[in-house]
Amino acid sequence: MKRIFGLQTAAGFKLFAALGAVVLAIAAAELAYGPVSLSLSEVSSAILGWGDASSTAIVTQIRAPRLLLGIAVGTALALSGCALQGVLRNPLADPGLIGVTGGASVGAAATIVLGDALALELPREIRPYLLPVSAFLGCALVTSFVFRLSRHAGTTSVATLILAGVAINAIAGAAIGVMVYISDDRQLRDLTFWTMGSLGGANWTMVAVTLAVVSVAAAALATLGRALDLFQIGERAAFHSGLNVERTKRNIALLSAIAVGGATAAAGPIGFIGLVAPHMARLIIGPSHRLVLPASALLGMGLLLGSDLAVRNIVPPAEPPIGLATSLIGGPFFLWLLLTRMKGRGLVA
Amino acid sequence: MKLIVPTALVAVLMSTVSLSETFPQRIVSAGGDLTEIVYALGAEDRLIGFDVTSNYPPSARDKEQIGYVRRISAEGVLALGPDLVLGAHDMGPPAAVDQLRAAGVRVELAPRGDSAKGIPEKVRFVGQLLGLTDKARQLASQIKADLSREAARAASKQPKPRVIFVLALGEGEPMVAGVGSSAAKIIELAGGTNAVTQFKGYKPMSREAILAAQPEVLLMMDSAVGRYGGIDKILERPELALTPAGQTRRYVSMDGMLLLGFGPRTPLAIEQLGEALRQ
Amino acid sequence: MLEVQDVTIRFGGDTPAVDNVSIAVKPGEIVSLCGPNGAGKSTLLSVLAGDLPPQEGRAFLDGRHLHDFSPQELATRRAVLEQSPTLAATFKVKQLAGLSIAIEISPDTVREIVTDTLMAVGLQHRAENRADLLSGGQQHRAHLSRVLSQLSSAGVEEGRYLLLDEPTARLDLIHQVTAMRVARKAAQQGVGVLVVLHDLNLAAAFSDRVALMHEGKLVAEGTAEKVFTGDRLSEVYEAPLQVDRGPSNTVRVSPIFFADSG
Repeated sequence: MKRIFGLQTAAGFKLFAALGAVVLAIAAAELAYGPVSLSLSEVSSAILGWGDASSTAIVTQIRAPRLLLGIAVGTALALSGCALQGVLRNPLADPGLIGVTGGASVGAAATIVLGDALALELPREIRPYLLPVSAFLGCALVTSFVFRLSRHAGTTSVATLILAGVAINAIAGAAIGVMVYISDDRQLRDLTFWTMGSLGGANWTMVAVTLAVVSVAAAALATLGRALDLFQIGERAAFHSGLNVERTKRNIALLSAIAVGGATAAAGPIGFIGLVAPHMARLIIGPSHRLVLPASALLGMGLLLGSDLAVRNIVPPAEPPIGLATSLIGGPFFLWLLLTRMKGRGLVA
Repeated sequence: MKLIVPTALVAVLMSTVSLSETFPQRIVSAGGDLTEIVYALGAEDRLIGFDVTSNYPPSARDKEQIGYVRRISAEGVLALGPDLVLGAHDMGPPAAVDQLRAAGVRVELAPRGDSAKGIPEKVRFVGQLLGLTDKARQLASQIKADLSREAARAASKQPKPRVIFVLALGEGEPMVAGVGSSAAKIIELAGGTNAVTQFKGYKPMSREAILAAQPEVLLMMDSAVGRYGGIDKILERPELALTPAGQTRRYVSMDGMLLLGFGPRTPLAIEQLGEALRQ
Repeated sequence: MLEVQDVTIRFGGDTPAVDNVSIAVKPGEIVSLCGPNGAGKSTLLSVLAGDLPPQEGRAFLDGRHLHDFSPQELATRRAVLEQSPTLAATFKVKQLAGLSIAIEISPDTVREIVTDTLMAVGLQHRAENRADLLSGGQQHRAHLSRVLSQLSSAGVEEGRYLLLDEPTARLDLIHQVTAMRVARKAAQQGVGVLVVLHDLNLAAAFSDRVALMHEGKLVAEGTAEKVFTGDRLSEVYEAPLQVDRGPSNTVRVSPIFFADSG
């Protein structure tokens, strides 16, 4: 974090401390509040391992995995959204744009509709992982295909990338349409609910795998601050400034695909965070990606955990899909931020 | 033991301890058919929560609502403090089922039962869990007897009338029940034959294909008839008006859960539908 | 020395964009690349910048093949100001000015370098302003400051090169001179400067050598006095031009206007 030039470092530090404190508070609330009311002392003794069986199970088997999955998914979506917006120089870019989410959705839809027969052949322990694995494979397949298409003579064309993503999304939509058509009533409902996302499927195995996948990708994405800054003056100028543009583009695409693929496989497609968290970060902390990246990650976590907290507690014992809450909470917050900042600064990037 | 214990858990402890029985007293039911069975067994006071498909008897709607059976929230259900979660065979997601079990809640998934044979099986299954084995056996054999009586009556009318079940109409093509759907099964049990043989499950069917299928009776759910402006409006639609059903205005409209629930009321549903078909 | 030998670049079509050109820039000198639109000046500059590998011929930086340098290494040896630099973020002018610095140095050193280069292009009073809200010319100067910062931070004394593609095109008269003075000052510090210029008088006034291109070919190279002759310029530009001497005996090129008879 050297050379944070142009930022009053003390002010920046304060903003980060405030952001971190808010996220920490939401994370604590995620552990402390749920449909089953537990006192803080029960929660803490459950964490420390000397609580009674029931509260321990609630905290360690239900809330803690959700918390960690929420952190992983929020970080993954926000960082890859930030990196893709940066590298494509397109403020509307999000992981859905280059077909990442579309691929995962095709994989998931195929498993939900066609996987029943296959699932019966598998041992019971493996069956729950069939869907996340095929969602991830679908994502990997589609992303590599999109990048193949947009690579010509050693360079990746951003315009082709976006167009290929649009085409792939259309094809994915059609494939999902076919799945919807041949699905029965139960499969259709499963599919519909999957597309709205949920952290409810979190168990420790899933959390461990997702955290491992996401943290590798996120750690690598978080080092790309200078590279993303340089993309803002164009690819040629970035090369003139010492950036290996081709390699950086490939890495960002690969890392985003891994992060979003992992997140989507575990929690379904959760929209809006990848699009909006980086914008919020820029409005709060300025344009320098060295700061925007970590701030996006924090905002992504905060938004996702806050949304999960809301859906878990709003109409217990039922639980609405989290996708509804990310937009309902994130949308107005983003608008407020946008309007207050616009007053202060004139134009908004 | 901690001093502060959540009220729900207190309730669990008290009910199990004071009644000193091994049979569950606080039951969450995820499946409309299972809920109806519990009611039919007279154990409704032990039910504390239901899923969205549990809408009969009407008093069931007053209890806690746990959402859709394939997307239950483990902690939401736990908050009710149940000692038994009675689930349809496809209750999910799997992680939530595992979490419920990890928290010490008994979860039992009913056998799949969308056939005439499956209903008595489900009844006996629920009865066993609730400690009402005798009552369940009685109910099961009653259902069996009713079903075979209806089967005999259904066989009496030949040829079987061709029935089309329309699930939804909407703007596009009507959504119609195909081969193997629960509607097709009930139609056959009631002595009709499903006019649609081209596809499985519920699918949109083109207007020409509906005309070609030549249905003699239109079958719909009450709620759908209401939603699309009453039976007269529906029978005026060209794809139905020109069929034998439209021209003779032969239609049956029934409550959805009664018709398709495959619960204790299914013999009644078969009887009602059968009578309409034999007219 | 930054040089190309017998370089040809084709973008498809019959006539190559650059046709068998050899040219070299030595440390401490300013070479101006002139010629009408479409002559191949920017393409040649791209080859020298390392953007375009030569399809035929070779490109060297101090005797080493240009394509053997990593982007990072290259960035410490040469800086490039594009014809139309862009900015898609809301950086402040001072952030933009320090953006291309390609090596890890202390924030204090960055601040000093940026202050100096902003001063050099006359933007020191705009340091805290948002770069994307400046006027076109000011933005261009901010990018010039960025390129200068990159070069002066490089920590390399010998063998640095500055490539400027029409740096004066969007500037007012005074700042055109400012920009060329900046180039002159860089040259005095040992930097080899190649500058694409449309203003032949600026080229004549500030360059050690000028190179004239036409239809992808290098037509002439040498001092402005030798290269800029009325006949040659009129032929290359396909318009009547006259050459005379300005006040301090510099070459002065001006078009001959005919009064419209209509």
